[in-house]
Amino acid sequence: MARLLQIFGFLSVLFRGATLTFQSLTVGGIVFLLFILRRAGQESEALQRVSLHWIRRSAIALAAMQISYVLANSLILMQSAEISLREAAGANFVIAGAIGILSALAIVILTGASRSQNPSALLITAAAIIASSVMTSHAMARLEYRVPLVVFTALHQAATATWLGGLPYLLIAIRRAQSPDYARQLSARFSQLALISVVVLASAGLVLGFAYVGSLKAVYGTSYGAMVATKALLFGLLLFLGALNYQLVRRGPSSTILASLKRFGEAEIGIGITVILTAASLTSLPPAVDLTRDRVTGAEIFTRMAPRPPRLASPTIQELPEDVYAAQKKAFESGSLSTESYVPGQAGTRPNTPAEKAWSEYNHHWAGIIVLAIGLLALVAQAGHVSWARNWPLIFLGLALFLFLRSDPEVWPLGPNGFWVTFADPEVLLHRIFVLLVIGLAAFEWRVQTGRVASAGVRLVFPLLIAVSGALLLTHSHSLGNIKEEVLAELSHIPLAILAVMAGWSRWLELRLPPENQTRGIMARLWPLCILLIGAALLNYHEM
Amino acid sequence: MHAGRRSLLILILLLAVVSLLIPAPAAAHAILLESNPPPNGKVAAPDIPIKLRFNVRIDASRSRLTLVRPDGSVQPLAIGKPASEDTLSALASNLPPGDYRLRWQVLASDGHITRGEIPFSVTLA
Repeated sequence: MARLLQIFGFLSVLFRGATLTFQSLTVGGIVFLLFILRRAGQESEALQRVSLHWIRRSAIALAAMQISYVLANSLILMQSAEISLREAAGANFVIAGAIGILSALAIVILTGASRSQNPSALLITAAAIIASSVMTSHAMARLEYRVPLVVFTALHQAATATWLGGLPYLLIAIRRAQSPDYARQLSARFSQLALISVVVLASAGLVLGFAYVGSLKAVYGTSYGAMVATKALLFGLLLFLGALNYQLVRRGPSSTILASLKRFGEAEIGIGITVILTAASLTSLPPAVDLTRDRVTGAEIFTRMAPRPPRLASPTIQELPEDVYAAQKKAFESGSLSTESYVPGQAGTRPNTPAEKAWSEYNHHWAGIIVLAIGLLALVAQAGHVSWARNWPLIFLGLALFLFLRSDPEVWPLGPNGFWVTFADPEVLLHRIFVLLVIGLAAFEWRVQTGRVASAGVRLVFPLLIAVSGALLLTHSHSLGNIKEEVLAELSHIPLAILAVMAGWSRWLELRLPPENQTRGIMARLWPLCILLIGAALLNYHEM
Repeated sequence: MHAGRRSLLILILLLAVVSLLIPAPAAAHAILLESNPPPNGKVAAPDIPIKLRFNVRIDASRSRLTLVRPDGSVQPLAIGKPASEDTLSALASNLPPGDYRLRWQVLASDGHITRGEIPFSVTLA
């Protein structure tokens, strides 16, 4: 049962992230339909039909994700608290989920092909979706200032949906518009709406940030604060891209401007989804204002992060604590390899020994050297003078081999546990799949760099994988409370994640922007630089 | 299927598996702010009033308190009517001296379940 609960715990986090994403797409689509397309006159009828089609699909996905989320969480509650389905059904998250599901289904019906759409009904259901989401937010759980916090949370989410959720519909509209002028007209109108949304979401975000974080010290001293700062930084990136778009729209009608607009829009959607996923993970962290003890201080961060020579000598396997093997073997035999990770205070966690920390630092530092080499060669290759430098993706194979050997010293080939343990322990399996991903990355990008493949889709694999890895690193950074080590570990990982997101999307823009766009050249230099910085950050990673 | 597209699909599938396997966060919304008995505290036998205060509103009817006795046996505790929305209270009666653990599991209003354990000792009055 522990294993089953653990799986549901994993899934419920994914469902939550997907729910927030589809919520934005559904609500953003409705706002785009009613406030951009409907007001654009007769010309927009075909575009309205396409938008309705996508709103419907997003609503179906939203309902499916909500149902899955409510089911997973209900099962966890029923099993862990030993209560009946009837009792679980009265819980606040079930009621909120039911409102979300019914609203999404109502949108599916309202956007059906045979019916004429009722704008006010669509708006009411969109508002109900936001309300259902706010019902399970931090705001509703607070004891003080609940009403104003609920209002600001609703404004924050609605503005996010209008801007980020509306963007894909804008891209669809630009692609299908009858003329470049009409596409530009739609873009200009959306820019105005986006501008208002940005002001609303930033203002509401500031108020919420002040209420939940409270002080500057909490920004770097707690996981919640650090994640809020990360969200703000990604928001800054989005604003930068938005400003580039705004400039393009104002410059005048041209098909090349629209092509650039679409490409910036794609990167905005990608980074926007990353921000939404970061927000989803924030909902599962206790607000920083509640954690007043054991915060990490500036001096502790400085001590941990101050540059030191890399650790290039590893402890031997024999120096690692034996109980890791013993515990793993025992758990494997009893079929319960993992603890119930959806709850804090779980059994089985213990501080790492100095030897384990040294082992991990050695791994990070060598990985840093490899990534640094990749970044340097990529930069040289971009300059175009040294042709063999284009083979830089092959260095990823070295990284794959290193990860395969070193990431799980308790398992084959280094450790006493056999090969099949790989498939029984999610963590080991995860590392092994990462190895396969890195090999895939090397193979795809090497073919792209050396001109062996011309397919546009294959060229996008590398930027997508890098950007997704960054997003996953952010989404899954978590700290149960104020355990200093966890906060310090998160502070080390956040820059890596942000750099990965930037590397992925700048490479994407380099590949996708039209050649005449000047930003393309900057993007071509930016992503190898980000990879270089990831290498440098890994090289200065410390656990003690 | 085109070879490039097939490889792309395999990669996407791999990514999906990775995201499924990445250690999930402990959905740690509710955290314990103070408790009676306090962690590792000593309280006088035989009746122990239990009170736990959290940082957020708690769904008391769907939360659980369990006492682990010195011999390892487990006794569920009836949760009383809470004094405030962020509090869980109960009464553990007739406890002989010894080392106990109070296990708590709470449901916060956002659907997140949090668990914890408070070790304490009961001494002679």
